[in-house]
Amino acid sequence: MRRVAVTGIGVVSSIGTGKDAFWSALLGGTSGISTVSSFDSAAFPVHIGGEVKDFDPLKYLTPERAAVTGRATQMAIAAAKLAVADSRLDFDAVDKNRVGVSMGTTSGEPLFVEQYNDAKKAGGEEAVPAEAMGRYPCHTMPAQVALELGAHGPVTIIPTACAAGNYAIGYGYDLIRTGRVDYVLAGGADAFSRITYTGFSRLGAIAPEKCQPFDKNRKGMIPGEGSGMLLLEPLDAAVARGAKIYAEVLGYGVSCDAHHMTAAHPAADGAIRCMQNAMKEAGVTTDDIDYISAHGTGTPTNDRLESLAIRTLFGERASRVPMSSIKSMLGHTMGAASAIEAAACSLALDTGWIPATMNHEETDPDCGVDIVANKSRKTNPKIILNNAYAFGGNNACLCLKRYVA
Amino acid sequence: MMPRVVVTGEGMITAAGAGIDAAQEALWSGKTVIAPSERLNGALMADVGEFDPTPWLGNKGVRVLDRGTRLLCIAAQMALTASKYTAVAEGDPDLGLVVGTLFGGVHSIASFDWTGITEGPNWVSPMEFANTVINAPAGQAAIKQKLRGVNSTVCSGLASGLYAMSYAADFLRFGRARYLLTGGMEEVCEETSLGFRKLGLSSPSGAVHPFAETRDGAAPGEGAAIWMLETAETAEARGVEPMFEILGFGAVYDAHPTIGYNPRGEGAAAAIRMAIANSELKPEDIGGIIASANGSPAGDEMEARALKAVFGDSLTGLPLCAPKALFGESMGAGGAIGALVAGFALRRGELPPTAGASAANGLQLSSSAQALRGENILINAFSCDGNNASLVVRSWKK
Repeated sequence: MRRVAVTGIGVVSSIGTGKDAFWSALLGGTSGISTVSSFDSAAFPVHIGGEVKDFDPLKYLTPERAAVTGRATQMAIAAAKLAVADSRLDFDAVDKNRVGVSMGTTSGEPLFVEQYNDAKKAGGEEAVPAEAMGRYPCHTMPAQVALELGAHGPVTIIPTACAAGNYAIGYGYDLIRTGRVDYVLAGGADAFSRITYTGFSRLGAIAPEKCQPFDKNRKGMIPGEGSGMLLLEPLDAAVARGAKIYAEVLGYGVSCDAHHMTAAHPAADGAIRCMQNAMKEAGVTTDDIDYISAHGTGTPTNDRLESLAIRTLFGERASRVPMSSIKSMLGHTMGAASAIEAAACSLALDTGWIPATMNHEETDPDCGVDIVANKSRKTNPKIILNNAYAFGGNNACLCLKRYVA
Repeated sequence: MMPRVVVTGEGMITAAGAGIDAAQEALWSGKTVIAPSERLNGALMADVGEFDPTPWLGNKGVRVLDRGTRLLCIAAQMALTASKYTAVAEGDPDLGLVVGTLFGGVHSIASFDWTGITEGPNWVSPMEFANTVINAPAGQAAIKQKLRGVNSTVCSGLASGLYAMSYAADFLRFGRARYLLTGGMEEVCEETSLGFRKLGLSSPSGAVHPFAETRDGAAPGEGAAIWMLETAETAEARGVEPMFEILGFGAVYDAHPTIGYNPRGEGAAAAIRMAIANSELKPEDIGGIIASANGSPAGDEMEARALKAVFGDSLTGLPLCAPKALFGESMGAGGAIGALVAGFALRRGELPPTAGASAANGLQLSSSAQALRGENILINAFSCDGNNASLVVRSWKK
């Protein structure tokens, strides 16, 4: 089976759009959290989120196409186009029958459900616009990306909620290594919505001021939005065309808690097994891992259980493997999260710098891991694990390796 | 050498009834279950109607499951039992689920938001939030049946069911699981029913006739269809005889505007050719076809052209069945239902009738059963957004 390289990175985020803006903001510890403005949050107990305030779909889509695509889809198209441009691939010359699109999401396009309900409330069922109904199903998201790029290979979306990005990148990796296609745009997207905000608010999960993963006084997660898309291609072909190779995908592991829909397994069983599965497939051991991109939502439970998973697997080495959560800056971008995190991991492997866990004030003695507090660090990692855990007990871990020519 | 992937259990619940016996009886009787739904104000559909999940799911932990999730869990339980899989008390990390769906549970999502805007966000139940993610059915099924291994939800429009089965087959080939339940599920709720009608997908006449000259549209159908897959080696080791083998898969996106078939059918033809080639077969090795056709004027035309492009003159005399004449268009479940129908056909050596059909336009469609011309069956699942998937299956032989 073929080896798989990451050769293009595209990101739409609350701290920057485009790889360079995103990466320098990330290493600089920039916060993307602000007061919610896309809907009226007055009735909620909290009012902050990681909205992408400056996203302009017309930079990436014609007005006609922008009018028929939802927000998450627009961000996905933007990130996909940015990834293609970043890869310096002569995309026009590529055989489009050999280009696939593999995405992940948590909610798809919930704004269309909101539109449906708003219309229904105002005028009854018949008042509901047909277009809203046609644009809602989540499969339209990767289909629109494929349409924009002219891709004719397999196109799918794996909506495994907050772990979806990893699942999507993993599927893309499988498509390339088996020789089914030669290029995959792989990643995730989610848009800010009142449905998602309501859900997390009612679970009491949203922090009132800031996201402080692994901090002793952490109060919760912060909903965000965005898109991360990677261009994957066979390593040999990337080398042959003189491409910049950010990282190599070594494999991924998945597992299911099969315990509770929203609460993680109390012994971090699924989290442990998905890391074990990823490392087994990648042919590495815990001794090889020198950075972990945490799921690190900032909720008391996630961070405690995630730390438990790391300590269980890594043993006494756990406190020496740096692990940071960029959700401390972006908030939780849902289905985009592990894809944006995979982009950050690829850049970490390429540049040698690992991003910090921001907003750290007091160490939680229960966690016992090195969270790269408040300042990014140059550690020159070689092999990285990117973790993601989701509602439904869906867990996925992606393993990436530094490429040396 | 990649391991061979085989089917060792089947489960299905649709408007034609619960279980594969009910499904086969309905199929071979040549009837349709597409009719105005009592449950949804007379909307035309294949409605499972009221059903009692207790015989398969017991009484515990069922109340929180929404309609589609119950359908999925029932079909999964049937397939697990049929495969003679021995349950592990604490759940098996090597047993998983890969399910195709188009919506997941849109009624749950819409209801959640409806409460929020009509009563206020503080009146929304936090427990209902869990059912608003599209992977909720798969996640709930995993809790109910202790499926601790792979758990994925795959959405590729009307092609979802076949994409999911191919995903599962690959995971088994890669050694990421030992047993995988896979297929598709879809519920039909007021939202999907309304959407079908508003998007012009529904048959105004109420007569759903795939490929017929008089066809004027489809009708939504609900249900779940699940296969238990494992490698031939695993099945042999535990003394279970495989029924069918999963061969090659092909998927092609036709990059056509959303909600629109490419009537020329190049993408559909390419998907068919890819599935056959990936099976290490040629078109003449195909002995029967399970069509995706659902009564859509454009979609059925596209599939007819694609079949002619691939099979040429040999299409006359190649038996074809369009099970959506019975089951309706069950979206994420459609391709999986088609796969299970292919299995039924392989077991009997003949394709079931297509309700109300007759041969036309060079297609060997019939309202009677038709003997297979060979042991490899092609299953199509072509989506109205341009995604095309095909799968080849055959009877198991060592």
